[in-house]
Amino acid sequence: MDIRIKNRRIANAYYNLGLERAGHRDLTGAVAALKKSLRFDKFQTDARNLLGLIYLEIGEAGAAMIQWVISLNLQEQDNLAEEYLHAVHASRSYLEAADQAAKKYNQALQYAKNDNEDLAVLLLMRMLDEFPNYVKAQELLAVLYIHHEDYIKAGSCLYQVLKVDHYNPTAQRYMAVAKRNTGRAEVEKRKLKNAFSHRQMQDDDIIIPPSYKENTGWQSVLNILTGLVLGAMVIFFLVMPAKTESLNAMHNQEQVANLEIINQKSIEIDQLNKDIETAKAAREQAETQLASLVSDNGGVLSQYQNLVKILEAYRTEDARTAALLYVSTDMNVLNDGVLDNTVAWIHADMAENGWQTLLAMGDEAMNGSGGPAQAIDYYNKSLQIRPGNTEVIYKLGLAYAALEDTDTANQYFGDIIMNYPDSEYADDAKEQRGY
Amino acid sequence: MLDFETEITRFKPSLEVGEVEEAIVREDLTDMTDLMVEFLKGSKE
Repeated sequence: MDIRIKNRRIANAYYNLGLERAGHRDLTGAVAALKKSLRFDKFQTDARNLLGLIYLEIGEAGAAMIQWVISLNLQEQDNLAEEYLHAVHASRSYLEAADQAAKKYNQALQYAKNDNEDLAVLLLMRMLDEFPNYVKAQELLAVLYIHHEDYIKAGSCLYQVLKVDHYNPTAQRYMAVAKRNTGRAEVEKRKLKNAFSHRQMQDDDIIIPPSYKENTGWQSVLNILTGLVLGAMVIFFLVMPAKTESLNAMHNQEQVANLEIINQKSIEIDQLNKDIETAKAAREQAETQLASLVSDNGGVLSQYQNLVKILEAYRTEDARTAALLYVSTDMNVLNDGVLDNTVAWIHADMAENGWQTLLAMGDEAMNGSGGPAQAIDYYNKSLQIRPGNTEVIYKLGLAYAALEDTDTANQYFGDIIMNYPDSEYADDAKEQRGY
Repeated sequence: MLDFETEITRFKPSLEVGEVEEAIVREDLTDMTDLMVEFLKGSKE
């Protein structure tokens, strides 16, 4: 017999086997048979088309398309693959969804392999809502659930798989694990044992239908009581929980509303407290300002009083009092704009004459009854108006020397020697220091 | 009990629709007839 014919027959036999298995929804078995059929005869178009259909059924749209495209290439006429491809292409949304599903499955597989099992589970769960027939994805999800010891969910996935592919060996293996861990295997085993443990019927055995029951008067009463008890139980277990749940829900809603009101009030209280704090701070600031205005020495009011006294001294041509008052007045706070010209005039006069008046008062004190201590005070005030005046610094040194405070005196002489070496008092200062 | 690590290695990626064209090119279509013809050719030579 020709090799081709022999191979074709074998291929046909495998195709028939695959077809039968597919009819019993043994899709894994059918795929194996159909692949063998194609291995013997690649032109077995029916086998290839059926293989594509099975792939589509288990969610593998890409693999299905491959088989149909090849099938159409090998047999261009009278080929069902053309219809299948048209149908798939016509439903763009299905094709896109199937592609997305494959991508998500691949992504989930990556996650699972890289210890991101939670992400893999999430991705598969969402994808399988749309594609429950995706066998590989259901199996992967089942493995992940088994790994997390969630055998009930794993069983649910495997149930889906076995609904599509009744004898899927992988799913059966996983299902055995799931059943063993949920106790389901034991229950099934018991059922199976009971099914085969019945003794053979004898001729005199009577079969009483399960619906037949003899009712006596007591039994009727008992039945009524049972009915009442059952009714009460229904109310207690079914109606009451629903009612309680609805009351709880209402109560929860009220609580949420109350909590919202409390939150709102808390926010308002916080805001009011902040306002009180702000008001307190403003009051304290105002009190501080007021205190600074009315305080005896440094207060603004005192400075204005001093200014009035300075002007009065000028009016009476008492330059000494004016100079003494000037040095004890903080002219910087008198900046209300009204007296700017007056203040500027006083500054100018003091810069020109005030320091000399105080120097002269210092000299008088040195030579008169005031003594060096009084002179030091006047000299310092003169320096306050005109800092760096070497004559005054030198005389301060002399005043301290007269008080036998040599250290301080030397500081003043040293100041001239170091900082004003070209001044006319530099030589005198050196002489005082003994250079 | 299943060994998760072993089981996970058994799962292979699915074919995406965009990869169909490439996969068709890669598909090995050699059947038994091709092999035998090839074998007979070789033995005659």
